[in-house]
Amino acid sequence: MSGWGIVRAYIARNRAAYLVGISLTTLASLLAVLIPWLIGSFSDRFGGGSLTFRDTAQFAAAILLISSLRVTVWWFGRMMVHRKGRILTYQLRRDLFLKWGTLSPAYYHGQSIGDLLSHALSDVEVVRELVTMGINVAASGLSMLAAVIYMMSVHGDWRLSLAGLGPMLAIPLLVCCLGPRLRAYSLRCQEALGSMAQTVEEVFGGIRAVKAFGTEQVVIGRFEGKVDDIVAERMTFIRLSSFFEALIPLLANLGFIIVLGYGGWLTITKGITLGGFVASTMYVALLRGPLEHLGKVLNLIQRGAASLDRIARLLTVAATVRDREAGALLDQPLRGHVRVNRLSFRYPGTERDVLAGISFTVAPGKTLGIIGPMGSGKTTLADLLLRLYDPPEGTVLLDGEDILRYPLARVRQGVAYVPQDGFLFSTSLLENIAFADDQPDRERAGQAARVAALHDTIEQFPDGFATEGGERGVRLSGGQKQRVALARMIYKDAVVQILDDSLSAVDTTTEREILKSLGARGIGGNVASGPAARTTIIISHRLSAVQYADEILVLDAGRVVERGSHAGLIAANGHYAGLWFMQSGITAEELKSGEPDLADDMAAMVTGLTNGVESLDAGMNEETAA
Amino acid sequence: MNESPQHGLGGLRTLLPYMKAHRGRLALAFGLVIGVAFIEMAQPYLVKVAIDRYIAVPAPHAAAVLWMAAAYLGMTLLALCLTYGQEILLQYTGLHTVRAIRSDLFRHLQGLSLGFFDRNSAGRLITNVVNDTEALNNFFSQFLSITLRGLLSLLLIMFFMLRLDVTAALYCFILVPVIGAVSLYFRVRLRRIYNEIRNRLSASIAFLAENLSGMAIIQIFHQEAKQQRRFDERNTALRDATISENRTNLLLTSITELLGDAGVAALIWFGGRAVIRGTITFGVLYAFVGYIRRFFQPINSITQQLNVLQTTIIATERISRTMRVEPEIVELPGALAPPIRGEIRFDNVSLAYQPGHRVLSDIRLTIRPGEKVGFVGASGAGKSSLLNLAARFYDATGGTVRIDGQDVREWPLEALRRTVGIVQQDVALFSGTIIDNIRFFRPEIPEERVRDACRLVGAEPFILRLPKGYDTPLSERGSTLSAGERQLLSFARVLVFDPRIIILDEATASLDTRTEAVLQEAIHRVSRGRTLLVIAHRLSTIQDMDTIIVLDQGRIVEQGTHTALLQLRGHYWRLHRSGILLEEAAGSDSAGLPAHIHNAGGSGAVQAVGITPA
Repeated sequence: MSGWGIVRAYIARNRAAYLVGISLTTLASLLAVLIPWLIGSFSDRFGGGSLTFRDTAQFAAAILLISSLRVTVWWFGRMMVHRKGRILTYQLRRDLFLKWGTLSPAYYHGQSIGDLLSHALSDVEVVRELVTMGINVAASGLSMLAAVIYMMSVHGDWRLSLAGLGPMLAIPLLVCCLGPRLRAYSLRCQEALGSMAQTVEEVFGGIRAVKAFGTEQVVIGRFEGKVDDIVAERMTFIRLSSFFEALIPLLANLGFIIVLGYGGWLTITKGITLGGFVASTMYVALLRGPLEHLGKVLNLIQRGAASLDRIARLLTVAATVRDREAGALLDQPLRGHVRVNRLSFRYPGTERDVLAGISFTVAPGKTLGIIGPMGSGKTTLADLLLRLYDPPEGTVLLDGEDILRYPLARVRQGVAYVPQDGFLFSTSLLENIAFADDQPDRERAGQAARVAALHDTIEQFPDGFATEGGERGVRLSGGQKQRVALARMIYKDAVVQILDDSLSAVDTTTEREILKSLGARGIGGNVASGPAARTTIIISHRLSAVQYADEILVLDAGRVVERGSHAGLIAANGHYAGLWFMQSGITAEELKSGEPDLADDMAAMVTGLTNGVESLDAGMNEETAA
Repeated sequence: MNESPQHGLGGLRTLLPYMKAHRGRLALAFGLVIGVAFIEMAQPYLVKVAIDRYIAVPAPHAAAVLWMAAAYLGMTLLALCLTYGQEILLQYTGLHTVRAIRSDLFRHLQGLSLGFFDRNSAGRLITNVVNDTEALNNFFSQFLSITLRGLLSLLLIMFFMLRLDVTAALYCFILVPVIGAVSLYFRVRLRRIYNEIRNRLSASIAFLAENLSGMAIIQIFHQEAKQQRRFDERNTALRDATISENRTNLLLTSITELLGDAGVAALIWFGGRAVIRGTITFGVLYAFVGYIRRFFQPINSITQQLNVLQTTIIATERISRTMRVEPEIVELPGALAPPIRGEIRFDNVSLAYQPGHRVLSDIRLTIRPGEKVGFVGASGAGKSSLLNLAARFYDATGGTVRIDGQDVREWPLEALRRTVGIVQQDVALFSGTIIDNIRFFRPEIPEERVRDACRLVGAEPFILRLPKGYDTPLSERGSTLSAGERQLLSFARVLVFDPRIIILDEATASLDTRTEAVLQEAIHRVSRGRTLLVIAHRLSTIQDMDTIIVLDQGRIVEQGTHTALLQLRGHYWRLHRSGILLEEAAGSDSAGLPAHIHNAGGSGAVQAVGITPA
C-alpha cells in the first residue's frame, strides 16, 4: 500500500465521522461570515437613518445567537476531526509495533533504533497533522474564503473584494515558500543545541579523565565553541523568522489599507454603502488566520508525503523468518536432540562465511561447550539454533527434523536462551524472571532465582522481587543482570537451553555454583514439572564455563579447530590448552609440579569461598549504591 | 515544579548583572515595541476617524480618505522595520545573555573538584548546563517579547478606548478580568494535561526503545502478544490524553470567541442606542467593536507565557545554586613543582568522604621512584581512594601526601596531574578523531609523540586498520571500538603526557584474555623508569610487582612480595583462595565441586593451579 493509500483507507473507513466533521466545520465558517454581514446591515440601517432601539436589541440577539450556534457547531466539527486524527496516530503506532514484533534480528541489524523510534513518533504525528489540518483547512479556510469573496462582491463591490483580498492571498504563498527554509534553519539550531548537549555529556561522563589530565581549559574551549555555534545558528534563524513574522501582518494590513482607501472612496462616491464598507474591513480581518493555516498545510503536504512513504515502507517490510506452510510439525513434543550438520552460514547481504562446515550432535541431557575468541561465530550459531535467522535447509535439526519445518512458536517454546548482555526490561525483577509467562508465578521465579544464585541478592533489595530492573530501575551490576537473565531462562524451563557467554561478568566461584545447580536441576528437580533431561549449550570465551561440558568445540573464524573433553583437549596441547594456561596464569611446568600440602587446605578453601562470594556481592551492592 | 517557590520572582535577580551589559539594546527594543503596538492598535481608530470625519458626514471628503490610507501604508511599512528591529534586538540580547551564563556556569563547574561530581549525577549537571540555560533562552525569546508586546497592546487599546469615550471604555474594561480568569483557568488545566501527555509520551517512547532493543528476547521467549498488549495500554493512555488536550484547547478557543461576540453584541445593543441618541458617533461604535475583539489575543498570550516564567524561575534558581558551590580543591597561589623523581609518601593519611565515615586510616607508605607496587583488597577496601589522593582528586582528611617531598596541596594542579597519569577502568572517549582523543585536543602535542605512545602500548596495529588511521573520527564516543581497544587508547593517552608516576586503576578488569596479554606486555614496557601503582584482581598482573600492599577496611594490613605474602597465610592468602584475587585462575575453581565434575575436569591438573608461588 502506498503512503497516500494508508490515509485514503483510513478516511474511507471513517467516512461518516469525517463527513459530519467537515459539514459542521464548513457550517461554522459560513456562520462566522454572517456576523460582519450583520454588523454591515446594522451600519446600513444607521446610514439610512432608519435604526431604532428595537433594531439594536434584535441585532445584538442575532449576533449572540449566531455566535453560540457557530461556536457549538465548530467545537463539535473540530473535535470530530481531531479525535479521528489522534486515533489514526494510535492505530499507526499499533500497526508499527505489531509489524516490528514479526521482524527478525536481521532486520534490526540494518536499522538504528533511534530512526525507528522517530518514525513511530514524529512521522506518525506529521501524518496526523496533515490529515487533521488538511481537512480542517479545506473545510473551514476555503469555505470561508469563498464565502467572504461572495459576501464582499454582493454586499460591497467585486472590485473591492479583489483588491482587498489580493495581497492577502500572498500569505499562504509566503508561508509555503519560507516555511521549509525556516524549518531547515530551526533544525540546524536544534542540531547545534544537541551538539552542545553531547559535549557536556561527554565531559561530565568523563570528568575523571578531564581532571586526571588537567585539561579543564581545553574542555572549556570546546564547550564555548559549541555555545558560539548555537548563537550563530540562532541568529541566522531569527533574522529570517523575524522578517517572516513582520511580513505577515504587513500583508494583512495591506488588505486593510486597500479596503480603507479604495472602499472609503467607493463609499463616498456611493459605489457601496457604509455597511458594505464596515463589513469589508471586518471580512479582511476574518481571513488572516485561515490563510496562514492554508500556507502551513501546503508545507505539510511535502513533509507529510515523505513521512507517509517511510511509514508505508515500514509497514510493508516482509518478515524473513516465518512459518513455512507446508509440512509444519505442529504437535511433536520436543525431546531436545540437537544436530548441526555441515552448517555454513553468511549473513544476508554479506560476502563472508561466519560459520563454515560446522557439525555436532548433542543428545538430550548432554552439555556442549563452545569456546572461541570474539568474532569466531559463536553467537551466530546460537542465533541459528533459535531460528532468529534461517539456516540453510537440512543443516540444523531438532529431534531429527529440519528446524525450518517447525512452526516458530514451537522452536521458541522448546529452546531457551540467555544473552550475553543480560538485557532486562523496565519491569519488576519478578516480571523479568517470569517473562515467559503472562501471569508471573512467584514461587517458580523464586526457585529459578535460587538456581541462578540470585535469590538472596534480590531478597536484600528493599523491594525484593518487586524491585524494578532495566534502565530506570535499580542499578544492577553486570553480573547481577546476567543472573536475572539466567533465572529468566531457568523459569522458562525449555528442553534446550543456550547460554551465550552468559556468566562473563559473574566471578568464577559463583559461576561454578550456578553451573552446578543448573546441572543438578534436571535430576533433583529444583524447579518442579521440568523435563527430566535438558540439553545445554554453553558458549563462552572463558574456559571455566565450559570445562565440565561433555564435549567442547573450539571455534575460530567460523570453523571447529578442536573438539573433545576438557581433559582430552588439555592433553592435546593445542589452542585450548594454550588458552587454559593463559587464563589461569600458570605454565605447563607449574601444572605438572603441584604443591603437596594442597589437600589439607580443602576445608579452609570451602569456607573462604563462601565468605568470598558474600563479600563480593557486598562489594557489588556498594558499587550499585555509590 | 515546586522547588523553592519562596524565591519567586526574586530569583530572576540573578539575571540582572548579565542583562546590564545590554541595557541600551533593551531600552531601544522597548521603544520599538511601543511603536509597533501603537501602529497595530491605531487601525480601528483610523477607520473611526475616516467614518466620522470624511465618510458619514454631509460633505464627504474622498481625497482625505485616500491620504489617510497612504499615511497608514507608511506607518505599516515603518511597523515592519520596527518589528524586525525589535525582534532582533531582544533575541540578540537573550542569546548573548544565555551564552554568558552558560559559559560562566560551565567554567565554574570545571573548577569544582571530583567530590562534587560524586555527589551530583552527571544527568543533573547536564540538565543544568543544557536545559536550564535553554529555559532562560525561552525567557528572552518568548516571555519577554510576547508579554512586553501583549501588555503594551492592552494598555494602548485601553488608551484609545478612553480617548474615544470614557464611559463606554470603562464598561468594556469589565471584560479584561473575565477574559483573564477564563484564560488562566484553562492554562492551568492545559498545563496539567500537557504534563500528563509528556509523561505518557515518554512512557511510550521508553517502552518502544526498550522493546526494539530487546526484540530478540521477546521473540525467543515468544512474548510478542504480551508485549503488544502492554504497548497498547501505553498507546491508548497517550491517545486519550491527547484527545483530552484537543477538547480543552478547542473549548478555550470556543469560549474566547463566544465572549468576544457577546462583547460585540453588547456594544451593538447599548452602543447602538447611544448612537441613535447621538451621545456617541457611529465611528466610535465601530472602533469599539474593533477594539473589543483585540482584547483577547494579548491576554491569552500573556497567560500562556506564565508557564515560561515559572520554568525560568526554577531554572535560574537551579543555576544559581550550582554557581554558589565552592570548589574544595584549590591551587595554592604561586605554587611551584619540585624536581620530579617519582617518589610518593603517605604520612599518616586518613580520608573520609563524609564526616565520621573513614575510608582510609593511618596510611603510612613510601613508594620509591621506579618502584612497582600492587594494591589488592576486597571491594571497598580503599584501594582507589588511596590512589586518588596521589593525584589530589580529593584532599586527605588527615596527614599529608607528598610527591617528591612536596605536599600535593602545594603542587600546581596541572603539573601534578602531568606527573601522575591514571589509566581508569572506564575509558572516557570524546567525539573527535583518534589522534585528538589521545592528545586530548591539544594540537601543540606533535603527531609523532602520539604515534610513539601508541606504538609503545601496542595500539598502533589496530589504529592503522581503521579506515582513516589516526584521523578516524570516533562515532558515539568510541562505541565501535572494543573494550580492549578503548583501554589501549586510554593507556596511550596517559603516555603522551609522559608522566613519571603511572596509576592503573582496575585498568585490565574488563578485558578478554587476549587483549589483556597485549596490555600486560605494554605495562611491562612502559613501567621502565617510571613509578607504577596498580590495582588489579588478576594474579598475572599482581604477582610481578616489587611490592604488594594489602588493604582491608581502609588500612594497610599486609605488605610484601607475592611469595612472602602467601607464606604469611594472612589476608592475601585468603583473598587468593576466595577467588576474589584470582578471577581467572582455576585454582579456586576446583574447590567444592561435586566429585563427578571434578574428575571430568581433570582434578590433578586443576588442583595445582594458582596456589603455586611464582
